[in-house]
Amino acid sequence: MGYQQKLRGLVLSTGLLTTALMGTMAWAADYKQAPMLDAQVKDGKIPAVEQRLPEKPYVETMIDGVGKYGGTLRTTILANGDQYNLTRTIANELLVRWDPQWKKVVPSLAEEFKASDDATTYTFKLRKGLKWSDGQPFNADDIMFWYEDVFMNAALSPAKNPTFTVAGKPVKVTKIDDLTVEFKFESPYGLFIQQLAYGQGHLPVIYPKHYLQQFHEKYNKDGIPALLKANPAAGDWVALFNSKISLTFQPQFWQNLQLPTMNPWILTTAYADSDRVVATRNPYYWKVDTAGNQLPYIDGITWAKLDDPQLMALKMTSGEFDFAFRHINNATFKSVLFDGQKTGNYKFVDVKDLPANDAVILLNLNSTDPVKKKIFQNKDFRIGLSQAINRQEIIDLVWVGQGAPAQVALQPEHELFNEREATQYTKYDPKAAAAVLDTVLPKKDAEGFRLDETGKRFTINFMVADVFGLSYPDVMQMVQKYAKDVGIDIQLRTTDRARLNTMWSANEQDAYIWNCVGGLSEVYTDPRCYMPFQKADIFFAMKWSEWYSNHATGEEPPQAIKDLMAAYDKVNAAVTDDDRRQKMKDFLNLSADNFLNIGISRPMPKYMMTSTNLKNVVNGIPITGNLWHPAPTLTQWYFDKPTK
Amino acid sequence: MLRYIIKRLVFAIPTLFAVSIIAFIIIQLPPGDYLTTLLADWASQGGAVEAGTVAAMRERYGLDQPMYFQYYKWMWGILTQGDFGISFELGKPVTELIWNRLGFSLLLSLLTLCFVWAVAIPIGILSAVRQYSISDYGATFLAFFFLAVPDFLMALSAMYVMSAWFGQSVGGLFSPDYIDAGWSFGKLIDFAKHVWLPVIVIGLGSLAALVRIMRANLLDELSKPYVTTARAKGMSEFELLIRYPVRLALNPLISTLGWILPAVISGEIIVSVVMSLPTTGPLLLRALLAQDMYLAGSLILLISVLTIIGTLISDILLALTDPRIRFQ
Repeated sequence: MGYQQKLRGLVLSTGLLTTALMGTMAWAADYKQAPMLDAQVKDGKIPAVEQRLPEKPYVETMIDGVGKYGGTLRTTILANGDQYNLTRTIANELLVRWDPQWKKVVPSLAEEFKASDDATTYTFKLRKGLKWSDGQPFNADDIMFWYEDVFMNAALSPAKNPTFTVAGKPVKVTKIDDLTVEFKFESPYGLFIQQLAYGQGHLPVIYPKHYLQQFHEKYNKDGIPALLKANPAAGDWVALFNSKISLTFQPQFWQNLQLPTMNPWILTTAYADSDRVVATRNPYYWKVDTAGNQLPYIDGITWAKLDDPQLMALKMTSGEFDFAFRHINNATFKSVLFDGQKTGNYKFVDVKDLPANDAVILLNLNSTDPVKKKIFQNKDFRIGLSQAINRQEIIDLVWVGQGAPAQVALQPEHELFNEREATQYTKYDPKAAAAVLDTVLPKKDAEGFRLDETGKRFTINFMVADVFGLSYPDVMQMVQKYAKDVGIDIQLRTTDRARLNTMWSANEQDAYIWNCVGGLSEVYTDPRCYMPFQKADIFFAMKWSEWYSNHATGEEPPQAIKDLMAAYDKVNAAVTDDDRRQKMKDFLNLSADNFLNIGISRPMPKYMMTSTNLKNVVNGIPITGNLWHPAPTLTQWYFDKPTK
Repeated sequence: MLRYIIKRLVFAIPTLFAVSIIAFIIIQLPPGDYLTTLLADWASQGGAVEAGTVAAMRERYGLDQPMYFQYYKWMWGILTQGDFGISFELGKPVTELIWNRLGFSLLLSLLTLCFVWAVAIPIGILSAVRQYSISDYGATFLAFFFLAVPDFLMALSAMYVMSAWFGQSVGGLFSPDYIDAGWSFGKLIDFAKHVWLPVIVIGLGSLAALVRIMRANLLDELSKPYVTTARAKGMSEFELLIRYPVRLALNPLISTLGWILPAVISGEIIVSVVMSLPTTGPLLLRALLAQDMYLAGSLILLISVLTIIGTLISDILLALTDPRIRFQ
């Protein structure tokens, strides 16, 4: 079955393989470039724009319309530990990509792709004439370099990235011709194309062979000792290689000005070298607008490195930035930023950063304490605790009304929204809660607290970390009071994130509170709150999730959980969009039946600030942990009145 | 004198070792290590991290080895090659990172010191000579007021006022146009335009202590017989004041000179963070938060070294300015 492909704004949905129609258009010779490149072309430093662009460039779908060249986008990052924001702003060029509405996957660096009927084999045909930012050709050899010499190299990749493995078996990549590669999995992996379109799918296309091979033992065994001598921080070739590129865009990636990329802007001032990071346009960027203008419109980007979000907000309101988003887009700064719109010359833009829930009580269903484990695993206990919570009161008092009572569920705007899943057991009803808890823990002590089967008071040692600016300690103090009303003793243990990390990795916690991803389409690839899934930051049943990834480890879960896992396997095996959607609905229904964790509030949209002069900005831009933004649409942003 | 200095230097060596060991242990006391920080970051980026990768990285960084061995390796590198290790987070040698920022730290400390002395000494003299007058109470009140206001609050308010009322670009030490430019006259002017705000904010906090020390010392001296004698001989009041009692009253201030050196690294971390100054303070804070242990350890080691050197310098200065100490 075919994937829908969106090219030049046309939606072509056909049978097995959709052949691209564009590229032969009459305006092939009419490509235009940014004025800042004219001089370089004239001097012969770079070839003319037709030669720099691929034969069939990617044609961007414009949001407002064709823009103008020029201007520098001034934005900001935290001075330390914030390289992720560089990544999210300019490093998201992939074989395939999500459309700006996050509805479907379309070809990007690949001109076309096709999936086999059994969802095991994927073929990608690259655009002809793509070039790295240094002008060298990008082709199948670069992808093979990643596969053979990085991904399959035990020293460089001691463990295989889960995006490229299924059931523990890594992908097999073969080169068909100079522009065609085939990814083959041993078992069905229908979600591969979706995964590849997220941020983590960048691996095959960030390794320029012509540059990196000099640091690889296989290609330059004799030359490496000399390179090591010149670079005392690296002890061996692996360290040397890793200091030139980072598979997860760690600071090393943003430190290497020589590294060729496929990104729209290239670094001129590195991450750790100065008080700001600077990038300028990549003359070989391979996208054009609908009128044949080479993208991006904006000449360069500067990130002021600031140590404190308060200063970010201040500089935003004094008009020193054209765009800001992370670190100051929370309730703390909203009123200041709202008042500063006029002086700062910016406007608010909605951001659909919508997880499945802002605050989720995660009881440890695999607790090492057998008594607690039995109680937590009892669905009636979870129902009772859920009904005891007055969610509206928490939302009103802690989050000044921002939110809605809900369980872990899809957002109502999403096609997978399941009302039962979202609202079950959310009604505040202490009587019903006490009644259902009486069936689980009927005995109480003199103070009214329930006793477990050994006759001791049943106490939940609840870990609370104050993260995400969501005031979890305040939330939990209220939950503690509601739980006391129905005879459940919750003891709060305030902690920091690092300690909690250590605890959940060792399976030591009784329970903790966290937020849950999966409010929009990311639920397909990341159902970590809907079933025992990968271990990332959600740990309510780590032994079962270990078992899920490898049956030889962890603990075998009960049948209901196994059914849930099987339902998700069916989602992964589906090949067509329709089938996948149906299987996902079945899975979510089953997840609602299991009611594994207790949600409190559905999140509301967040915001970012952009200059009033900026156009082509998506209002209601969707983002999530692995859907990086604004990179996918930043190339079409333009200044209506360039600042300089 | 030389013997005295050599003796002090010899005693410094075991102290430094002890401090470095304690620093190394303290950095590793919090649960987890740099990789747990990294894992948390990755998790919030939507990626689960495979156990194999983490184990391999832990091995590469040597984090899987016992603490004493890690310490030994670190110390050995420092002693034999001057290699302080690499920063895990930034992937750069620690020495390079620290050197980048040390210059501005030092400059800022010196400018602040000049500012504080230039303001505190006259005020201290004034309030001692005019004891219990309006100017004494006024100066004392102001000094205590600035002592009581937390410095980060002062930094925030000062920046807000400068930005909102005077429209000046605040934060950092340069405007965007000059950040990456080489040194030039224009850049120097730009620097001067920016540096005075942090200098004043940092300086005002330490004003009170110096004013009070100066005032108390001078009051002690003013009532001594030699002052009366000089006055009886007909010496002008101003000359008398500056020549004798003020000189003696300055001694305690000289002994505080030694504190500046360690403060270059660790001083005013909060102000530096709030105002985004390119000094070592924010670097140390982040290194501690991210458990970037070689970077944090080297900074702490450097602070200890500078404390010891600073104390030594102020001892020598004291001995030079005050013959009584020299001949004891």
